[in-house]
Amino acid sequence: MAERKRRGEDPADDNLNDETFEDTVDAEDDDVADEPVSRGGTATLSKAKAEAADSPAKEKKPGRGPFARIGRFFREVVAELRKVIWPTRNELLTYTAVVIVFVAVMMTVVALLDFGFAKGVLAIFG
Amino acid sequence: MLSAFLSAFRTPDLRKKLLFTVAIIAVYRLGATLPSPGVSFSNVQKCIDIMESGATSGVFSLLNLFSGGALLSLSVFALGIMPYITASIILQLLTVVIPRLEQLRKEGQSGQAKITQYTRYLTLGLAVLQSSAFVALARSGQLFSNQCDQFPIVPENTGLPMWITLVALVITMTAGTGVVMWLGELITDRGVGNGMSVLIFTSIAARLPSEGWAIKESRGWAWFIAVLALVLLVITLVVFIEQAQRRIPVQYAKRMIGRKMYGGTSTYIPLKVNQAGVIPVIFASSLLYLPQLILQFFDQNDPGPVQSWVQNNIVDPASWIHIVIYFLLIIFFTYFYVSITFNPTEVAENMKKYGGFVPGIRPGKPTADYLDFILSRITLPGSLYLGVISILPNFFFIWLDNNQFQNFPFGGTAVLIMVGVGLETVKQIESQLMQRNYEGFLR
Repeated sequence: MAERKRRGEDPADDNLNDETFEDTVDAEDDDVADEPVSRGGTATLSKAKAEAADSPAKEKKPGRGPFARIGRFFREVVAELRKVIWPTRNELLTYTAVVIVFVAVMMTVVALLDFGFAKGVLAIFG
Repeated sequence: MLSAFLSAFRTPDLRKKLLFTVAIIAVYRLGATLPSPGVSFSNVQKCIDIMESGATSGVFSLLNLFSGGALLSLSVFALGIMPYITASIILQLLTVVIPRLEQLRKEGQSGQAKITQYTRYLTLGLAVLQSSAFVALARSGQLFSNQCDQFPIVPENTGLPMWITLVALVITMTAGTGVVMWLGELITDRGVGNGMSVLIFTSIAARLPSEGWAIKESRGWAWFIAVLALVLLVITLVVFIEQAQRRIPVQYAKRMIGRKMYGGTSTYIPLKVNQAGVIPVIFASSLLYLPQLILQFFDQNDPGPVQSWVQNNIVDPASWIHIVIYFLLIIFFTYFYVSITFNPTEVAENMKKYGGFVPGIRPGKPTADYLDFILSRITLPGSLYLGVISILPNFFFIWLDNNQFQNFPFGGTAVLIMVGVGLETVKQIESQLMQRNYEGFLR
Protein backbone atom coordinates (compact mmCIF):
# COMPACT_ATOMS: atom_id res chain seq x y z
CA MET A 1 0.00 0.00 0.00
CA ALA A 2 2.69 2.39 1.05
CA GLU A 3 4.77 1.40 -1.95
CA ARG A 4 1.94 2.09 -4.34
CA LYS A 5 1.22 5.42 -2.77
CA ARG A 6 4.83 6.39 -3.11
CA ARG A 7 4.84 5.41 -6.71
CA GLY A 8 1.75 7.42 -7.38
CA GLU A 9 3.43 10.49 -6.01
CA ASP A 10 6.57 9.93 -7.96
CA PRO A 11 6.09 12.50 -10.73
CA ALA A 12 5.47 15.26 -8.24
CA ASP A 13 8.54 14.32 -6.22
CA ASP A 14 10.62 14.20 -9.31
CA ASN A 15 9.50 17.66 -10.16
CA LEU A 16 10.47 19.00 -6.77
CA ASN A 17 13.85 17.35 -7.01
CA ASP A 18 14.52 18.83 -10.39
CA GLU A 19 13.92 22.28 -9.12
CA THR A 20 16.13 21.90 -6.11
CA PHE A 21 18.73 20.44 -8.34
CA GLU A 22 18.76 23.39 -10.63
CA ASP A 23 18.80 26.02 -7.96
CA THR A 24 21.17 25.68 -5.10
CA VAL A 25 19.77 23.05 -2.76
CA ASP A 26 17.65 24.49 0.00
CA ALA A 27 17.90 23.15 3.50
CA GLU A 28 14.15 23.39 3.78
CA ASP A 29 13.48 20.99 0.95
CA ASP A 30 15.84 18.33 2.19
CA ASP A 31 13.30 16.16 3.95
CA VAL A 32 11.32 15.86 0.74
CA ALA A 33 14.35 15.34 -1.41
CA ASP A 34 16.02 12.47 0.40
CA GLU A 35 13.85 9.77 -1.09
CA PRO A 36 16.32 7.37 -2.67
CA VAL A 37 14.27 6.31 -5.69
CA SER A 38 13.72 9.71 -7.16
CA ARG A 39 17.20 10.88 -6.30
CA GLY A 40 18.51 8.15 -8.56
CA GLY A 41 16.10 9.41 -11.17
CA THR A 42 17.53 12.88 -10.98
CA ALA A 43 21.04 11.63 -11.32
CA THR A 44 20.34 9.82 -14.59
CA LEU A 45 18.32 12.75 -15.68
CA SER A 46 21.17 15.17 -15.21
CA LYS A 47 23.47 12.76 -16.96
CA ALA A 48 21.15 12.63 -19.91
CA LYS A 49 21.09 16.38 -19.89
CA ALA A 50 24.87 16.59 -19.97
CA GLU A 51 24.96 14.12 -22.81
CA ALA A 52 22.38 15.98 -24.73
CA ALA A 53 24.27 19.23 -24.39
CA ASP A 54 27.14 17.74 -26.33
CA SER A 55 25.08 16.94 -29.39
CA PRO A 56 23.55 20.14 -30.71
CA ALA A 57 19.90 19.87 -31.64
CA LYS A 58 19.89 22.06 -34.69
CA GLU A 59 22.24 21.88 -37.60
CA LYS A 60 23.56 25.34 -36.78
CA LYS A 61 26.31 26.44 -39.11
CA PRO A 62 28.36 29.34 -37.83
CA GLY A 63 27.04 32.51 -39.46
CA ARG A 64 29.35 34.21 -41.90
CA GLY A 65 28.31 37.65 -40.78
CA PRO A 66 25.44 39.51 -39.20
CA PHE A 67 23.63 39.87 -42.51
CA ALA A 68 23.90 36.22 -43.37
CA ARG A 69 22.59 35.34 -39.93
CA ILE A 70 19.66 37.72 -40.19
CA GLY A 71 18.91 36.35 -43.64
CA ARG A 72 18.93 32.82 -42.32
CA PHE A 73 16.70 33.82 -39.43
CA PHE A 74 14.12 35.20 -41.83
CA ARG A 75 14.31 32.12 -44.01
CA GLU A 76 13.67 30.02 -40.92
CA VAL A 77 10.74 32.25 -39.99
CA VAL A 78 9.22 31.69 -43.40
CA ALA A 79 9.88 27.97 -43.13
CA GLU A 80 8.07 27.84 -39.81
CA LEU A 81 5.19 29.91 -41.16
CA ARG A 82 4.70 27.32 -43.88
CA LYS A 83 4.15 24.68 -41.23
CA VAL A 84 1.50 26.72 -39.44
CA ILE A 85 -2.02 25.32 -39.51
CA TRP A 86 -4.26 28.21 -40.51
CA PRO A 87 -7.95 28.13 -39.58
CA THR A 88 -10.30 26.85 -42.23
CA ARG A 89 -12.90 29.12 -43.77
CA ASN A 90 -15.64 27.52 -41.73
CA GLU A 91 -13.76 27.84 -38.47
CA LEU A 92 -12.89 31.43 -39.21
CA LEU A 93 -16.52 32.37 -39.87
CA THR A 94 -17.80 30.64 -36.73
CA TYR A 95 -15.19 32.21 -34.49
CA THR A 96 -15.73 35.64 -35.98
CA ALA A 97 -19.49 35.33 -35.52
CA VAL A 98 -19.09 34.15 -31.93
CA VAL A 99 -16.74 37.01 -31.10
CA ILE A 100 -19.05 39.56 -32.69
CA VAL A 101 -22.05 38.17 -30.80
CA PHE A 102 -20.08 38.18 -27.55
CA VAL A 103 -18.86 41.74 -28.03
CA ALA A 104 -22.35 42.89 -29.01
CA VAL A 105 -23.89 41.24 -25.94
CA MET A 106 -21.29 42.77 -23.64
CA MET A 107 -21.69 46.17 -25.25
CA THR A 108 -25.45 46.03 -24.75
CA VAL A 109 -25.08 44.95 -21.13
CA VAL A 110 -22.58 47.72 -20.39
CA ALA A 111 -24.64 50.30 -22.26
CA LEU A 112 -27.75 49.38 -20.29
CA LEU A 113 -25.86 49.48 -17.01
CA ASP A 114 -24.32 52.84 -17.89
CA PHE A 115 -27.65 54.28 -18.90
CA GLY A 116 -29.24 53.16 -15.62
CA PHE A 117 -26.38 54.42 -13.48
CA ALA A 118 -26.21 57.74 -15.32
CA LYS A 119 -29.93 58.30 -14.68
CA GLY A 120 -29.50 57.35 -11.03
CA VAL A 121 -26.46 59.57 -10.49
CA LEU A 122 -28.16 62.44 -12.27
CA ALA A 123 -31.19 62.05 -10.03
CA ILE A 124 -29.05 62.15 -6.90
CA PHE A 125 -26.34 64.68 -7.75
CA GLY A 126 -27.72 66.60 -10.71
CA MET B 1 -24.78 28.77 -31.34
CA LEU B 2 -27.60 30.41 -29.46
CA SER B 3 -28.45 27.12 -27.83
CA ALA B 4 -24.87 27.02 -26.56
CA PHE B 5 -25.42 30.37 -24.86
CA LEU B 6 -28.53 28.93 -23.26
CA SER B 7 -26.80 25.77 -22.13
CA ALA B 8 -24.03 27.93 -20.67
CA PHE B 9 -26.68 29.40 -18.43
CA ARG B 10 -28.17 26.00 -17.70
CA THR B 11 -24.91 24.68 -16.27
CA PRO B 12 -25.04 25.65 -12.59
CA ASP B 13 -21.38 26.42 -11.84
CA LEU B 14 -20.86 28.18 -15.16
CA ARG B 15 -24.00 30.24 -14.64
CA LYS B 16 -22.68 31.25 -11.25
CA LYS B 17 -19.38 32.35 -12.75
CA LEU B 18 -21.01 34.28 -15.56
CA LEU B 19 -23.43 36.07 -13.26
CA PHE B 20 -20.59 36.82 -10.86
CA THR B 21 -18.56 38.40 -13.65
CA VAL B 22 -21.51 40.48 -14.81
CA ALA B 23 -22.13 41.60 -11.23
CA ILE B 24 -18.49 42.71 -10.89
CA ILE B 25 -18.75 44.56 -14.19
CA ALA B 26 -21.87 46.29 -12.85
CA VAL B 27 -19.99 47.39 -9.73
CA TYR B 28 -17.15 48.62 -11.91
CA ARG B 29 -19.45 50.67 -14.11
CA LEU B 30 -21.24 52.07 -11.05
CA GLY B 31 -17.94 53.29 -9.63
CA ALA B 32 -17.01 54.72 -13.00
CA THR B 33 -20.21 56.80 -13.02
CA LEU B 34 -20.19 57.87 -9.38
CA PRO B 35 -18.61 61.32 -8.98
CA SER B 36 -15.88 61.79 -6.40
CA PRO B 37 -16.55 64.01 -3.38
CA GLY B 38 -15.91 67.67 -4.04
CA VAL B 39 -16.51 67.38 -7.77
CA SER B 40 -19.42 69.27 -9.19
CA PHE B 41 -21.34 66.71 -11.20
CA SER B 42 -23.37 69.19 -13.22
CA ASN B 43 -20.29 71.23 -14.14
CA VAL B 44 -18.46 68.10 -15.26
CA GLN B 45 -21.39 67.15 -17.48
CA LYS B 46 -21.39 70.59 -19.08
CA CYS B 47 -17.64 70.39 -19.64
CA ILE B 48 -17.86 66.98 -21.29
CA ASP B 49 -20.58 68.32 -23.57
CA ILE B 50 -18.38 71.24 -24.53
CA MET B 51 -15.48 68.90 -25.18
CA GLU B 52 -17.50 66.56 -27.34
CA SER B 53 -18.86 69.34 -29.48
CA GLY B 54 -15.48 71.06 -29.68
CA ALA B 55 -12.86 70.36 -32.27
CA THR B 56 -9.97 69.41 -29.99
CA SER B 57 -10.79 66.52 -27.78
CA GLY B 58 -8.52 66.29 -24.80
CA VAL B 59 -5.03 64.99 -24.46
CA PHE B 60 -6.08 61.91 -22.57
CA SER B 61 -8.06 60.19 -25.28
CA LEU B 62 -6.62 56.70 -24.90
CA LEU B 63 -6.43 56.91 -21.13
CA ASN B 64 -10.04 58.01 -21.09
CA LEU B 65 -10.89 55.12 -23.39
CA PHE B 66 -9.17 52.65 -21.09
CA SER B 67 -11.01 53.98 -18.06
CA GLY B 68 -14.35 53.85 -19.88
CA GLY B 69 -14.90 57.60 -19.83
CA ALA B 70 -14.48 57.69 -16.06
CA LEU B 71 -11.34 59.80 -16.18
CA LEU B 72 -12.83 62.97 -17.58
CA SER B 73 -15.77 62.85 -15.21
CA LEU B 74 -13.36 62.45 -12.26
CA SER B 75 -15.39 59.60 -10.85
CA VAL B 76 -14.41 57.28 -8.03
CA PHE B 77 -12.81 54.81 -10.45
CA ALA B 78 -11.33 57.58 -12.58
CA LEU B 79 -7.93 55.93 -12.82
CA GLY B 80 -9.42 52.57 -13.70
CA ILE B 81 -7.13 49.59 -14.03
CA MET B 82 -4.22 51.54 -15.51
CA PRO B 83 -2.08 51.90 -12.36
CA TYR B 84 -2.38 48.16 -11.78
CA ILE B 85 -1.27 47.41 -15.31
CA THR B 86 1.65 49.81 -15.07
CA ALA B 87 2.67 48.32 -11.74
CA SER B 88 2.56 44.78 -13.05
CA ILE B 89 4.65 45.71 -16.09
CA ILE B 90 7.21 47.41 -13.88
CA LEU B 91 7.42 44.40 -11.58
CA GLN B 92 7.66 41.91 -14.41
CA LEU B 93 10.43 43.92 -15.99
CA LEU B 94 12.21 44.24 -12.65
CA THR B 95 12.02 40.48 -12.17
CA VAL B 96 14.53 40.13 -14.95
CA VAL B 97 16.82 42.78 -13.50
CA ILE B 98 16.70 42.30 -9.74
CA PRO B 99 18.04 38.90 -8.58
CA ARG B 100 15.95 38.88 -5.41
CA LEU B 101 12.70 39.15 -7.37
CA GLU B 102 13.81 36.41 -9.74
CA GLN B 103 14.52 34.20 -6.77
CA LEU B 104 11.03 34.93 -5.47
CA ARG B 105 9.50 33.99 -8.79
CA LYS B 106 11.30 30.67 -8.86
CA GLU B 107 10.15 29.94 -5.33
CA GLY B 108 6.71 29.06 -6.60
CA GLN B 109 3.45 29.86 -4.88
CA SER B 110 4.70 31.79 -1.87
CA GLY B 111 7.18 33.82 -3.90
CA GLN B 112 4.50 34.63 -6.43
CA ALA B 113 2.25 35.81 -3.62
CA LYS B 114 5.05 38.10 -2.44
CA ILE B 115 5.45 39.56 -5.93
CA THR B 116 1.69 40.12 -6.14
CA GLN B 117 1.88 41.93 -2.84
CA TYR B 118 4.63 44.22 -4.14
CA THR B 119 2.57 44.84 -7.26
CA ARG B 120 -0.36 45.97 -5.14
CA TYR B 121 1.77 48.36 -3.09
CA LEU B 122 3.30 49.80 -6.24
CA THR B 123 -0.20 50.17 -7.71
CA LEU B 124 -1.32 52.27 -4.75
CA GLY B 125 1.82 54.39 -5.00
CA LEU B 126 1.24 55.00 -8.68
CA ALA B 127 -2.42 55.70 -7.99
CA VAL B 128 -1.51 58.44 -5.49
CA LEU B 129 0.84 60.03 -8.04
CA GLN B 130 -1.61 59.79 -10.88
CA SER B 131 -4.63 60.98 -8.94
CA SER B 132 -2.77 64.01 -7.58
CA ALA B 133 -1.69 64.83 -11.11
CA PHE B 134 -5.26 64.64 -12.37
CA VAL B 135 -6.70 66.55 -9.46
CA ALA B 136 -4.16 69.31 -10.06
CA LEU B 137 -5.07 69.31 -13.75
CA ALA B 138 -8.75 69.47 -12.97
CA ARG B 139 -8.17 72.39 -10.60
CA SER B 140 -6.27 74.38 -13.20
CA GLY B 141 -8.79 73.51 -15.92
CA GLN B 142 -6.24 71.79 -18.13
CA LEU B 143 -8.04 68.48 -17.95
CA PHE B 144 -10.46 70.00 -20.46
CA SER B 145 -7.75 71.96 -22.30
CA ASN B 146 -8.92 75.20 -20.63
CA GLN B 147 -12.07 75.24 -22.72
CA CYS B 148 -14.27 74.92 -19.73
CA ASP B 149 -12.97 77.49 -17.27
CA GLN B 150 -16.35 79.10 -16.68
CA PHE B 151 -17.57 75.91 -14.96
CA PRO B 152 -15.07 74.96 -12.23
CA ILE B 153 -14.97 71.19 -11.84
CA VAL B 154 -13.92 71.44 -8.21
CA PRO B 155 -15.95 74.37 -6.86
CA GLU B 156 -14.36 76.65 -4.24
CA ASN B 157 -17.40 77.77 -2.27
CA THR B 158 -18.15 74.56 -0.39
CA GLY B 159 -17.55 75.88 3.13
CA LEU B 160 -14.66 73.45 3.61
CA PRO B 161 -11.01 74.48 3.27
CA MET B 162 -9.76 73.67 -0.21
CA TRP B 163 -6.97 71.35 0.88
CA ILE B 164 -9.41 69.04 2.64
CA THR B 165 -11.40 68.67 -0.57
CA LEU B 166 -8.26 67.99 -2.60
CA VAL B 167 -6.89 65.45 -0.15
CA ALA B 168 -10.28 63.74 -0.02
CA LEU B 169 -10.28 63.57 -3.84
CA VAL B 170 -6.85 61.99 -3.98
CA ILE B 171 -7.71 59.52 -1.24
CA THR B 172 -11.00 58.58 -2.92
CA MET B 173 -9.39 57.94 -6.29
CA THR B 174 -6.56 55.95 -4.76
CA ALA B 175 -9.04 53.85 -2.82
CA GLY B 176 -11.05 53.46 -6.01
CA THR B 177 -7.99 52.10 -7.76
CA GLY B 178 -7.52 49.64 -4.92
CA VAL B 179 -11.12 48.47 -5.32
CA VAL B 180 -10.73 48.12 -9.10
CA MET B 181 -7.63 46.02 -8.53
CA TRP B 182 -9.56 43.81 -6.16
CA LEU B 183 -12.46 43.50 -8.60
CA GLY B 184 -10.04 42.40 -11.30
CA GLU B 185 -8.54 39.75 -9.09
CA LEU B 186 -12.01 38.55 -8.10
CA ILE B 187 -12.88 38.06 -11.77
CA THR B 188 -9.68 36.12 -12.36
CA ASP B 189 -10.32 33.90 -9.34
CA ARG B 190 -14.04 33.29 -9.38
CA GLY B 191 -15.37 34.57 -12.69
CA VAL B 192 -14.56 33.95 -16.34
CA GLY B 193 -11.55 35.38 -18.11
CA ASN B 194 -8.55 37.37 -16.96
CA GLY B 195 -9.76 40.15 -14.67
CA MET B 196 -7.41 42.82 -15.93
CA SER B 197 -8.35 42.24 -19.57
CA VAL B 198 -12.06 41.88 -18.84
CA LEU B 199 -12.13 45.26 -17.08
CA ILE B 200 -10.31 46.97 -19.95
CA PHE B 201 -12.67 45.23 -22.32
CA THR B 202 -15.62 46.62 -20.35
CA SER B 203 -14.21 50.13 -20.46
CA ILE B 204 -13.70 50.01 -24.19
CA ALA B 205 -17.14 48.47 -24.68
CA ALA B 206 -18.57 51.39 -22.73
CA ARG B 207 -16.94 53.95 -25.00
CA LEU B 208 -17.44 52.35 -28.41
CA PRO B 209 -21.13 53.14 -29.01
CA SER B 210 -20.74 56.84 -28.33
CA GLU B 211 -17.50 57.06 -30.31
CA GLY B 212 -19.16 55.30 -33.22
CA TRP B 213 -22.07 57.66 -32.99
CA ALA B 214 -19.69 60.62 -32.97
CA ILE B 215 -18.26 59.43 -36.29
CA LYS B 216 -21.74 59.17 -37.74
CA GLU B 217 -22.62 62.63 -36.48
CA SER B 218 -19.52 64.31 -37.82
CA ARG B 219 -19.06 62.47 -41.10
CA GLY B 220 -22.40 60.95 -42.01
CA TRP B 221 -23.65 57.44 -42.69
CA ALA B 222 -21.26 56.56 -45.50
CA TRP B 223 -18.24 57.03 -43.25
CA PHE B 224 -19.93 55.21 -40.41
CA ILE B 225 -20.57 52.16 -42.57
CA ALA B 226 -17.08 52.31 -44.05
CA VAL B 227 -15.55 52.35 -40.58
CA LEU B 228 -17.81 49.49 -39.53
CA ALA B 229 -16.72 47.44 -42.53
CA LEU B 230 -13.10 48.18 -41.69
CA VAL B 231 -13.65 47.05 -38.12
CA LEU B 232 -15.26 43.85 -39.38
CA LEU B 233 -12.24 43.22 -41.58
CA VAL B 234 -9.86 43.80 -38.69
CA ILE B 235 -11.89 41.48 -36.46
CA THR B 236 -11.71 38.70 -39.05
CA LEU B 237 -7.99 39.23 -39.49
CA VAL B 238 -7.40 39.14 -35.74
CA VAL B 239 -9.43 35.95 -35.38
CA PHE B 240 -7.54 34.42 -38.30
CA ILE B 241 -4.14 35.03 -36.77
CA GLU B 242 -5.20 34.21 -33.22
CA GLN B 243 -6.41 30.80 -34.41
CA ALA B 244 -3.27 29.98 -36.37
CA GLN B 245 -1.15 27.32 -34.70
CA ARG B 246 2.13 25.60 -35.30
CA ARG B 247 1.50 22.05 -34.16
CA ILE B 248 4.50 20.21 -32.88
CA PRO B 249 3.84 16.48 -33.00
CA VAL B 250 4.43 14.58 -29.78
CA GLN B 251 4.49 10.80 -29.59
CA TYR B 252 3.86 9.13 -26.26
CA ALA B 253 5.44 5.78 -25.46
CA LYS B 254 3.20 2.96 -24.36
CA ARG B 255 3.63 1.94 -20.81
CA MET B 256 2.04 -0.35 -18.27
CA ILE B 257 0.87 1.05 -14.98
CA GLY B 258 -0.55 -1.73 -12.86
CA ARG B 259 -2.62 -3.82 -15.22
CA LYS B 260 -3.52 -1.05 -17.59
CA MET B 261 -1.91 0.11 -20.74
CA TYR B 262 -1.34 3.85 -21.02
CA GLY B 263 -0.07 6.13 -23.71
CA GLY B 264 1.00 5.14 -27.16
CA THR B 265 -0.95 8.08 -28.46
CA SER B 266 0.28 10.86 -30.66
CA THR B 267 -0.77 14.42 -29.91
CA TYR B 268 0.70 17.81 -30.56
CA ILE B 269 1.77 20.90 -28.69
CA PRO B 270 -0.14 23.84 -30.12
CA LEU B 271 2.12 26.88 -30.43
CA LYS B 272 0.03 29.84 -31.46
CA VAL B 273 1.51 32.30 -33.90
CA ASN B 274 0.60 34.94 -31.37
CA GLN B 275 1.33 33.05 -28.19
CA ALA B 276 1.21 36.24 -26.10
CA GLY B 277 -2.40 37.30 -26.70
CA VAL B 278 -3.32 40.94 -26.26
CA ILE B 279 -1.21 41.63 -23.17
CA PRO B 280 1.75 43.10 -25.14
CA VAL B 281 -0.54 45.71 -26.67
CA ILE B 282 -1.99 46.67 -23.31
CA PHE B 283 1.50 46.85 -21.81
CA ALA B 284 2.98 48.88 -24.65
CA SER B 285 0.18 51.41 -24.75
CA SER B 286 0.14 51.92 -21.01
CA LEU B 287 3.91 52.24 -20.90
CA LEU B 288 3.76 54.85 -23.64
CA TYR B 289 1.47 56.88 -21.42
CA LEU B 290 4.08 57.27 -18.71
CA PRO B 291 5.88 60.19 -20.41
CA GLN B 292 2.59 61.99 -20.72
CA LEU B 293 1.89 61.40 -17.08
CA ILE B 294 5.30 62.69 -16.09
CA LEU B 295 4.74 65.80 -18.18
CA GLN B 296 1.75 66.65 -16.02
CA PHE B 297 4.02 67.39 -13.09
CA PHE B 298 5.71 70.22 -14.97
CA ASP B 299 4.39 73.65 -15.72
CA GLN B 300 2.03 73.39 -18.68
CA ASN B 301 1.91 77.04 -19.59
CA ASP B 302 5.61 77.52 -19.99
CA PRO B 303 7.03 74.36 -21.57
CA GLY B 304 10.79 74.01 -21.74
CA PRO B 305 12.52 72.66 -24.85
CA VAL B 306 12.68 69.07 -23.55
CA GLN B 307 9.08 69.17 -22.46
CA SER B 308 7.77 70.44 -25.75
CA TRP B 309 9.92 67.95 -27.66
CA VAL B 310 8.45 65.09 -25.63
CA GLN B 311 4.98 66.53 -26.12
CA ASN B 312 5.33 66.83 -29.88
CA ASN B 313 7.23 63.65 -30.63
CA ILE B 314 6.44 61.02 -28.04
CA VAL B 315 3.02 61.91 -26.64
CA ASP B 316 1.41 62.99 -29.90
CA PRO B 317 -0.02 59.78 -31.41
CA ALA B 318 0.34 61.15 -34.96
CA SER B 319 4.10 61.67 -34.81
CA TRP B 320 6.41 59.15 -36.44
CA ILE B 321 8.56 58.77 -33.37
CA HIS B 322 5.52 57.81 -31.34
CA ILE B 323 4.47 55.23 -33.92
CA VAL B 324 7.93 53.68 -34.18
CA ILE B 325 8.37 53.52 -30.40
CA TYR B 326 4.93 51.97 -30.01
CA PHE B 327 5.69 49.37 -32.69
CA LEU B 328 9.05 48.43 -31.17
CA LEU B 329 7.56 48.27 -27.66
CA ILE B 330 4.89 45.85 -28.87
CA ILE B 331 7.49 43.60 -30.48
CA PHE B 332 9.60 43.70 -27.34
CA PHE B 333 6.69 42.92 -25.03
CA THR B 334 5.50 40.09 -27.27
CA TYR B 335 8.84 38.33 -26.94
CA PHE B 336 9.04 39.25 -23.28
CA TYR B 337 5.60 37.94 -22.44
CA VAL B 338 6.07 34.73 -24.41
CA SER B 339 9.30 34.10 -22.54
CA ILE B 340 7.50 34.59 -19.24
CA THR B 341 4.48 32.43 -19.98
CA PHE B 342 5.98 29.58 -22.00
CA ASN B 343 9.03 27.84 -20.63
CA PRO B 344 10.43 25.35 -23.21
CA THR B 345 12.68 23.66 -20.66
CA GLU B 346 9.74 22.93 -18.39
CA VAL B 347 7.57 21.64 -21.23
CA ALA B 348 10.40 19.42 -22.45
CA GLU B 349 10.97 18.05 -18.96
CA ASN B 350 7.29 17.30 -18.50
CA MET B 351 7.08 15.53 -21.82
CA LYS B 352 10.07 13.44 -20.96
CA LYS B 353 8.64 12.54 -17.60
CA TYR B 354 5.52 11.07 -19.15
CA GLY B 355 7.36 9.29 -21.90
CA GLY B 356 6.63 11.75 -24.68
CA PHE B 357 8.99 12.86 -27.40
CA VAL B 358 8.99 14.85 -30.59
CA PRO B 359 9.71 12.42 -33.43
CA GLY B 360 13.28 12.87 -34.57
CA ILE B 361 14.36 14.95 -31.58
CA ARG B 362 15.90 13.50 -28.44
CA PRO B 363 14.03 14.19 -25.21
CA GLY B 364 15.39 16.61 -22.65
CA LYS B 365 17.54 19.52 -23.65
CA PRO B 366 17.46 18.98 -27.44
CA THR B 367 13.67 19.09 -27.28
CA ALA B 368 13.78 22.26 -25.21
CA ASP B 369 16.16 23.80 -27.74
CA TYR B 370 13.89 22.72 -30.58
CA LEU B 371 10.82 24.25 -28.92
CA ASP B 372 12.75 27.43 -28.23
CA PHE B 373 13.93 27.55 -31.83
CA ILE B 374 10.39 27.26 -33.19
CA LEU B 375 8.94 29.64 -30.64
CA SER B 376 11.41 32.41 -31.34
CA ARG B 377 10.80 32.08 -35.09
CA ILE B 378 7.04 31.84 -34.91
CA THR B 379 6.74 34.79 -32.52
CA LEU B 380 8.29 37.22 -35.01
CA PRO B 381 5.30 37.24 -37.39
CA GLY B 382 3.02 37.22 -34.34
CA SER B 383 4.63 40.34 -32.91
CA LEU B 384 4.71 42.07 -36.29
CA TYR B 385 1.01 41.39 -36.68
CA LEU B 386 0.24 42.84 -33.25
CA GLY B 387 2.33 45.90 -34.05
CA VAL B 388 0.81 46.51 -37.47
CA ILE B 389 -2.77 46.17 -36.27
CA SER B 390 -2.10 48.47 -33.31
CA ILE B 391 -0.55 51.27 -35.29
CA LEU B 392 -3.30 51.29 -37.90
CA PRO B 393 -5.22 54.12 -36.20
CA ASN B 394 -2.08 56.25 -36.07
CA PHE B 395 -1.91 56.09 -39.83
CA PHE B 396 -5.48 57.29 -39.87
CA PHE B 397 -4.38 60.23 -37.74
CA ILE B 398 -1.86 61.15 -40.37
CA TRP B 399 -4.03 60.40 -43.34
CA LEU B 400 -7.07 62.24 -42.05
CA ASP B 401 -6.97 65.63 -40.46
CA ASN B 402 -5.67 65.52 -36.95
CA ASN B 403 -8.45 66.92 -34.87
CA GLN B 404 -11.50 65.11 -36.02
CA PHE B 405 -10.26 61.63 -35.23
CA GLN B 406 -8.33 62.29 -32.07
CA ASN B 407 -10.49 59.81 -30.24
CA PHE B 408 -10.46 57.24 -32.98
CA PRO B 409 -10.97 54.00 -31.10
CA PHE B 410 -11.48 51.73 -34.09
CA GLY B 411 -9.09 49.81 -36.26
CA GLY B 412 -6.27 49.23 -33.84
CA THR B 413 -5.52 48.85 -30.18
CA ALA B 414 -9.13 48.89 -29.03
CA VAL B 415 -10.41 46.39 -31.57
CA LEU B 416 -7.44 44.15 -30.92
CA ILE B 417 -8.16 44.16 -27.20
CA MET B 418 -11.89 43.63 -27.75
CA VAL B 419 -11.44 40.66 -30.06
CA GLY B 420 -8.54 39.17 -28.12
CA VAL B 421 -10.31 39.30 -24.79
CA GLY B 422 -13.58 38.20 -26.36
CA LEU B 423 -11.97 35.17 -27.97
CA GLU B 424 -10.09 34.25 -24.79
CA THR B 425 -13.20 34.53 -22.63
CA VAL B 426 -15.43 32.62 -25.04
CA LYS B 427 -12.88 29.84 -25.22
CA GLN B 428 -12.73 29.63 -21.46
CA ILE B 429 -16.51 29.41 -21.24
CA GLU B 430 -16.39 26.83 -24.02
CA SER B 431 -13.92 24.62 -22.20
CA GLN B 432 -16.04 24.79 -19.05
CA LEU B 433 -19.06 23.88 -21.12
CA MET B 434 -17.22 20.92 -22.62
CA GLN B 435 -16.92 19.36 -19.19
CA ARG B 436 -20.69 19.05 -19.08
CA ASN B 437 -21.93 18.60 -22.62
CA TYR B 438 -20.08 17.98 -25.78
CA GLU B 439 -21.59 20.77 -27.81
CA GLY B 440 -20.13 24.24 -27.50
CA PHE B 441 -20.30 27.54 -29.33
CA LEU B 442 -17.49 26.74 -31.63
CA ARG B 443 -18.88 23.86 -33.57
